[in-house]
Amino acid sequence: MTVALELDDIQGIVARAYPDLRAACFLLLGVRDPVAAGAWLHALCDQVTSARSRPEATAVNLALTPGGLRALGQPLEAFATEFVQGMADVHRSRPLGDVGANDPSGWRWGGPATSPVHLALLLYAKDEPGLESLSGSLSAQLAANGLDLVVRLDTSDLDEVEHFGFRDGISQPLIEGLSKTGPASNTVKAGEFILGYPNEYGLYTDRPLVAPSEDPGSILPRDPAGSGQADLGRNGSYLVLRQLEQDVVGFWGFLEQATHGAGGAAGPGARRALAAKMVGRWPSGAPLVLAPDADDPSLGEANDFGYFTEDRGGTRCPIGAHIRRANPRDSLDPRPGSQASIDVGKRHRILRRGREYGPPISIEQLEAGDDGGLERGLYFLCLNANLARQFEFIQHTWVNNAKFSGLYDDPDPLVGARNGGRDTFTVQAEPVRSRVRGLPQFVTVKGGAYFFLPGIRAIRYLTTPRKRPTAR
Amino acid sequence: MPHQIALTVKADVLPGRADALRQLLNAIGEECRRAELLPFEELPVHFARFFLLDEAHDLKGAVIPAALVFLSDVDAPLHQYLSRLAARAGPGLDQIFSHCEGYPQGPDVIPQERVRYLQARMVRSATVYVNTVGRSLEQVRAEARLREAVEDFLDRPPVPAPGTPAGVWDHVQRQVAADPTLTWATQPASRPGAAWRLRQGAHLLAAPLAVLVALPLILPLLPFWLILLRIREKRDPARRLVPDPAHVEQLAAREDKVVQNQFAAVGFLKPGPFRRLTLSVVLWVVNYTTRHVFNHGSLAGVRTIHFARWTFIDEKRRLIFASNYDGSLESYMDDFIDKVAWGLNAVFSNGVDFPRTNWLVRDGARDELAFKNLLRVRQVDTPIWYSAYGDLTAMNVANNAAIRAGLSGAMSADQAAVWAGRI
Repeated sequence: MTVALELDDIQGIVARAYPDLRAACFLLLGVRDPVAAGAWLHALCDQVTSARSRPEATAVNLALTPGGLRALGQPLEAFATEFVQGMADVHRSRPLGDVGANDPSGWRWGGPATSPVHLALLLYAKDEPGLESLSGSLSAQLAANGLDLVVRLDTSDLDEVEHFGFRDGISQPLIEGLSKTGPASNTVKAGEFILGYPNEYGLYTDRPLVAPSEDPGSILPRDPAGSGQADLGRNGSYLVLRQLEQDVVGFWGFLEQATHGAGGAAGPGARRALAAKMVGRWPSGAPLVLAPDADDPSLGEANDFGYFTEDRGGTRCPIGAHIRRANPRDSLDPRPGSQASIDVGKRHRILRRGREYGPPISIEQLEAGDDGGLERGLYFLCLNANLARQFEFIQHTWVNNAKFSGLYDDPDPLVGARNGGRDTFTVQAEPVRSRVRGLPQFVTVKGGAYFFLPGIRAIRYLTTPRKRPTAR
Repeated sequence: MPHQIALTVKADVLPGRADALRQLLNAIGEECRRAELLPFEELPVHFARFFLLDEAHDLKGAVIPAALVFLSDVDAPLHQYLSRLAARAGPGLDQIFSHCEGYPQGPDVIPQERVRYLQARMVRSATVYVNTVGRSLEQVRAEARLREAVEDFLDRPPVPAPGTPAGVWDHVQRQVAADPTLTWATQPASRPGAAWRLRQGAHLLAAPLAVLVALPLILPLLPFWLILLRIREKRDPARRLVPDPAHVEQLAAREDKVVQNQFAAVGFLKPGPFRRLTLSVVLWVVNYTTRHVFNHGSLAGVRTIHFARWTFIDEKRRLIFASNYDGSLESYMDDFIDKVAWGLNAVFSNGVDFPRTNWLVRDGARDELAFKNLLRVRQVDTPIWYSAYGDLTAMNVANNAAIRAGLSGAMSADQAAVWAGRI
């Protein structure tokens, strides 16, 4: 049974990545004056883009950190522990792989040494001038309304390719109940991403409920599970935002070094082939499971495949390849290759909404070692209903886990944190594997935070002057 | 090779000494003094730990004194472990157990006294799970070295061009045979002793036979048991408990440091003889399956658990569950819910406040967040924990053993392909 989604109340970023709104920036704000900020945000509700609309010019979405909720006077007890403790919490850093070069103490924002982030304004427009006018008019109002700009994250439009040179964002779970449909194996219950709807267990994920007396104006919907409480979580989601710097020159330089004298012929072909083994797809997006020997752009969007039947041993797509561990499909217990395996996998999916930053660069330029001295990376955004079971699980149990699926010393070759020199990338092959040892780290975390992305009514509720705001 | 033994020692803490003991355990665990005071590295022990159970009130309000629990997963024979532990870990044991009742006082405690003290406080577990029965610590360590050597053979130039998996196998086998530190690997691992295997075989047959004999008694009672069960399942309270954030933080601070984690929890059984009897029977059945079915790499489909035990304490008013597993607690709990919820339900629904079950095995743990929260609530802080191979998952250990097993005897081309895929 499919549940009707309240599209007018769900923020638009949940339903779509705004692919036609090619310009985007994220304003991370701190609340200086809770009263003024609350009033301004309350007025902003009318501008917040819902999942119902299909914006062609601009879109605005809004999310809050625990500090932001506290500043608006909202108690945090009912929110998920992971969210309240935050991404930079000292005990989360180990499982998240935020140690060494990724340590929050070195972050540019969101870390212990930087100004607190309370809000994220996610701004999108169809082109750069449109974005400038949107962000310019909002930015100009901040100071007078009790808000400080902590950092502005500008993105760049790479046309679906990320900086290492690979097509990105191909595999996204489809939300049951939205208009876009696809294979059942890739269609996931709305409650995995949107709070207040049944999840893959057929249950409502824990979310903030408040006593009806706290909501005298009945702004909030009532708990669909029937507790009689007002549902502050309904139509909301948890948003993960991480700034991931990509060492694009280091990546291609390492491939150059690793393919030299490794038996095979060195050169662009060998470099790209090894890079594809690390990613699990060719630069066009063609999956190695379907195109094992050479890139095939006609398979660039192929996403309806499994691993168990075609490639149990990983001789096409290595067991440790990025896409095979970030979304293992049918390859893990229980009973790999079965529906049960896919069903368990569905409890660990995320909606990715990231955007690149830094100017585009071609693989040819990179192979020449020329990055123009400019930083490049990804603002990784994802949405999920249960941070522990979805984002954090993927990060710890799959991506950063050197022991993933029976491996020994193999973290994610592309994005994973490293474990001090032992890091290996194993390429399964006939008659026996080859392996790349001493894998350097190619992606470094530069900032990050967990946010609550409320339903639009919930934003209204949170910004209605009803209680005494507690200033930080 | 020896079989493994789950040693549980439980000693009551002297009145008023629980805080001092907790501080001591924290200090030994945190200040890296563990290896000096409790040199498990030198002993035939896979995992070991100490934790403290606070003074508690049972469901009728009676006081249960604070107790120290010491767990080890050791290779048989047990007396050898105990005597070596008593000899090597004297200062550590003396410091810790001097806070407990009945421990010999004075500066000159002799090893035999320590052994006697531990033996007198041993608690038998109702159910013990060993990932692979008969795989000793020595074997785990040696096979890990072997696998690294095999990987090196294949990385190191000059690599011959072994065109087929059989060629790879042949190449590796020659290299192993030529290395005097590895020649042992060309022989299969030895099995547990004949006496032990005989006992296992007898148990394998005797237990079902006993059930068969008792069947005429059991069957007529079964409908009554079912009725009682259904009444209780409807009426038993199942409060949705939420863990204290400070408790969770303390637990999390000790987690995810090596590839394994430990889990230890304690809880009260629901009151009355019905649950006590049901749980005793369920754990007896589970123990039969872990002895004879789930004894080589998987606990009903979960392949990430090295050792686990279920132990009644306090005249069966409480149950301790303790395990050593791979990965994070979140993945462990998900494995439980996704793969063996029925088994968890049959056992833990006899405990207070477990999510409501139906027909003993249905629902229950499938209430994901209620179950995960209850686990954290019941979990016990474990200040001292030792893993003999913190860099190996259970799947690694099993794969290493399979690489070694493939080195003895002959192999078909297909078998060689599977074997080469393990490298």
